[in-house]
Order: sequence, then structure tokens, then C-alpha cells
Amino acid sequence: MAIKDDTEFQTALSGLTPQQQRQLAARFVDSVINLCPDPRVKAAVNVARQGDVSDAELAMARQNAKSASVESYTQCGKEADWKSQAGHFVALAALACVASNEHADTLAWDAAMNARMACTCETIAEGKGTRNREAETQYRMLDEFLES
Amino acid sequence: MSASLEKGVNVLKEMIDAPIASFFNSCVHCGICAEACLFYTETGDPKYTPIHKLKPLRKVYEQEYTLVGRAAKALGLSKPLTDAELDEWQELVYNSCTMCGRCSLVCPVGNDLAYMIRKLREGMAVAGHAPEGVIGATKRTVEIGSPMGVRLPAVQAQMRHVQEDVGIEIPLDQEGAEYMLLLSSMEIINFPEYLGAVARIMQQAGKSWTLCSTAFEATNSGIQIGVSDLAKVIVSRIVEGAERLNVKTVISPECGHAYMALRWEGPNLIGRPYNFDVKHILEVLEEFRVQGLLKTEGFETERVTFHDPCQIVRRGGVIEPQRNLLKMVAKDFVEMSDPGKYNWCCGGGGGVSANENAEQLRLTAFKRKKAQLDEVQVDTLVTACANCRIVMEEGLEHYQMNIPVVGLTETIAKHLAKPTGGTPQSD
Repeated sequence: MAIKDDTEFQTALSGLTPQQQRQLAARFVDSVINLCPDPRVKAAVNVARQGDVSDAELAMARQNAKSASVESYTQCGKEADWKSQAGHFVALAALACVASNEHADTLAWDAAMNARMACTCETIAEGKGTRNREAETQYRMLDEFLES
Repeated sequence: MSASLEKGVNVLKEMIDAPIASFFNSCVHCGICAEACLFYTETGDPKYTPIHKLKPLRKVYEQEYTLVGRAAKALGLSKPLTDAELDEWQELVYNSCTMCGRCSLVCPVGNDLAYMIRKLREGMAVAGHAPEGVIGATKRTVEIGSPMGVRLPAVQAQMRHVQEDVGIEIPLDQEGAEYMLLLSSMEIINFPEYLGAVARIMQQAGKSWTLCSTAFEATNSGIQIGVSDLAKVIVSRIVEGAERLNVKTVISPECGHAYMALRWEGPNLIGRPYNFDVKHILEVLEEFRVQGLLKTEGFETERVTFHDPCQIVRRGGVIEPQRNLLKMVAKDFVEMSDPGKYNWCCGGGGGVSANENAEQLRLTAFKRKKAQLDEVQVDTLVTACANCRIVMEEGLEHYQMNIPVVGLTETIAKHLAKPTGGTPQSD
């Protein structure tokens, strides 16, 4: 079945286990990881990609991703650097990947939305008309994940 | 005297009105304002006493408008204001004052020290003694219309993203809509979820609303730097937009000083009353709650507290709505010490967070908020100002406190009753 829109996308995501959501979320972030140079973000995604990780590992990854996201905020009154802001949203997407199990029901959706925001920021930075195709890319990833 | 200093001093002379004259005359030097200022309480340095920060303004007042001061100046006993003095005072006027107004609130003789700081900033800015970061924000406001350089295509991109996220169309330039929503730059850049939350709430309430392509930005850096002409330009843009779209109410976003600038200073800046209402988003949500248009379900299971943005609660008088709203969705809501109008500032308002030179001092001042949070031991901190939110996240990160900070509007939207299910619940 090919996912065509966000309604189908959300429905399919809601059928996944927390562990599957985490692994898929990691793929969503991988797709935009080039927009964020922070090694803590990459490390968090690597943790999410692993099948079985301890709560302590998750918590450590979460702390690092949180630090990366806080440090990359655009502060009030500072000129918006949309390229850097893309990195901020990648950090938030990575943070979603390593959310605790109590918050796992929307984990992949949150990662997907933040990854899309990162792409939106990139297109604003590049003045490419502010449209991006990341949603379609994510639909394809989910299709492949469900088929695998 | 340099040309810019002369201009600055002239502006200060113009700024000294009857209230300021009476404030200087009525100060009894009690020092209570010091105990109300987190820059003093957290450093113990007497130079951060609020009334002391006003020394350049007092000097001009005494030399120009008092008999003794004028005589002293004429006899050479009192030196004119210098660039060196203003340079020294820049730290006190811009880095260590968020214009939170707590000093004004506690002053036993009713001196509005925040008002005086605002007037002093007018002269400081003209004299060339405003911080680089705030000057940059002001230039961008003049050239682009936004202190953070946000242009309409960026807003439209965020609108598209939010539409995808929440599945609701975000209206733009809809004439005759009941509400016109303003955003702060911070929400456009950092917190697009705010726009999605408003869209969902408006849909549930059945209200018409719109963004305005010529006035989407609420942030008023003219107020922060202390340039009334610029503040007026920013307010005028919003007034023109609201009148063009013929809306009934303009909604100020989750931003503290934008609300104060538009609602309380705006009509004075443009010289006439508005023909529309200005309300903070919290006031609008409270109206929806009272009218039964805000239906929520479920509760936050964790212990939460609320940080009151100074310009909304203390300067703006919005105290109960946020509490009523939070109680709709949080069973374990606990107040920090000094809640409501006595709340302590996050330390980053009034342009301080845009001022790189103030960063260390801001983090030191955050110890007050840290102490308040340590007392209540909460799992989540809710607020209603995007700037407070980031300043507190940075402070919490600095002091390694693991407390998530969230916006109240999003928190309410998260609990909106689903149209086809759930048990609606209002209060």
C-alpha cells in the first residue's frame, strides 16, 4: 500500500510499536541529518536506531539532544539564520527519536514534523520558494519500512 | 560635547515630564526597589539598585529643572553629562534591567521606575549608547519590518508547514474576520506549534480569524531600545492592517512586551484610540472558556507550575485567565512563591536576551527562578511568552535542571476535546 497523504501516514504510524516508531523516526532524521553539524544529534539518532537500548542510554541521548536543541535556538532579537535554524529542528527531531517510552505514541510523527520543519528552514535560507518534498520522502520511507 | 551626546541630552530634557520630576522629588532613598530587582538580589552589587540606574536622568533633571542644580552647574560645581558616563551606564540601563516593573510595584511612594528607565533609554539610544544587538534588531525592523529579519515568504512557509501538521487551513488577509492574529518573530522561527495550536482552538470555538500579510509581526523593538518614533511605526503597521481587514479584535501573541507595546502604549504612540480591541491570547482563551467554547479532555498527569511573563501579569494586569486555563488541563498545578503580579522576571525581557553582553549577568540573575523552581519541584514549567520560554530553557540547561518548558496555548490545544469522542469538560 502506498501512503498518499498525512492522514494515511498518521494512521500507519499509530499502528507501530514504540520500538518500531523509534527506528523509523531515526530514518526520518537521517534524511535531514546533513542540516545539523552537531555530533550529539547524530549520536542520539544512532541510539534510536539500535533495536534494544537501556533506559539509561536513552536518557543520556535525550539529555544530549536536548542540550543541542536549546543551544541552537534563535534568540529574541537576533537575526534569523535559517540554515542554523534548520539544524535546531533536526536536533528537535532527534530529541523526539529518543523520547521516553511514556511519550512514544507520537514519537515518529513528532520526528517527521520536525524533520519537515528543518527542510522548510533550509528552503527559506536558500530562497528556493519555501516548498519542500520531505513529506513525500517520509511516505516512501514508511512504505519501505512496512514492507521490510 | 559630541553631536550625538548633545542630541541625547536634549532628548533626555524632553523626556523629563511632570511624573518624572515628581518621582525624583518623592524618592525617599529607602532601597526597597533594590530588594525587588533580581539583578541586585542575585549579585548583591548595589550598582544594580533600580533608582541608581537612573543617575544620568536625575543629573539632567537636577541641572536643568531645579534651582540648586542649575546654580551648581552655572558655578561649575556640577559637571555636564559625558559620553563616558553614558557608556558606563549602558550596562545598568540595558544589560541589567528587563523593565519588568517589579521595582515600580513595590516603591512605597509610587515611583514608576520602569517608566523612567524607558525614558532614559530614549536619550541613551539617541546618544549612541544602546547595545549592538538591540541596535541590529532595530535596524532590521526599519528595513525589513521584523527585528529578527522575518519576511512574509518565511511566514507563508511556516503556515504551509502548520497546515500539514494540524490539517487546518491558516487564513491570510481575510477581510471581516473576527480576530487578527499577530505572531512574534520567536514564534515564527522557533515555535510554529503556537500557530497550529491557535488554528485548532479557533476551529473548535467556531471563530473566524486571519493573519495579515502586512502586519504579521507583533515584536516591537522600538519599545526595547527606547525609540518612540520607531515604536509608533510598528504599531501603525498593525493598526493599518487591522483597519484594512476590518477585524474586531487583534490578538497579541505569547510575547510579553508586544502586548504592553500594542495595548497600553500603542494608542498614545499613534495619538488616537483604536477602532478594534487588543487582547492577549490568554484573554481570548479565557473568554472562550467562560463562553463554553473551549472544551478540553484529560489532564496533565505531572506536577506543573506557571511562570507569569512580567509585561502580561504585572504591567498588563492579566492574572487569573492563565490560572483558570491551566486548571482545566492540569490537576497538580502548583504556584511558585511570589506568584501573579509579584512574579520574578525570567531575566531576559526588555531586550536583555538580545544583548550578548548581558549573557553572563542574565544567567546569574536566573538563580532567582532556579530557587523558585527548586522550592516547588515540578515536572513541567508552563509560560505564555516565547522569549521567557527560551531564556528559561537556557537557564535550566545552564543549571542542569531537567524541566521541560511549554507554552500555555499549546498545552490547552493538546487537550482539546476531539469532535467525535471523549468527554468534554470545561472547568
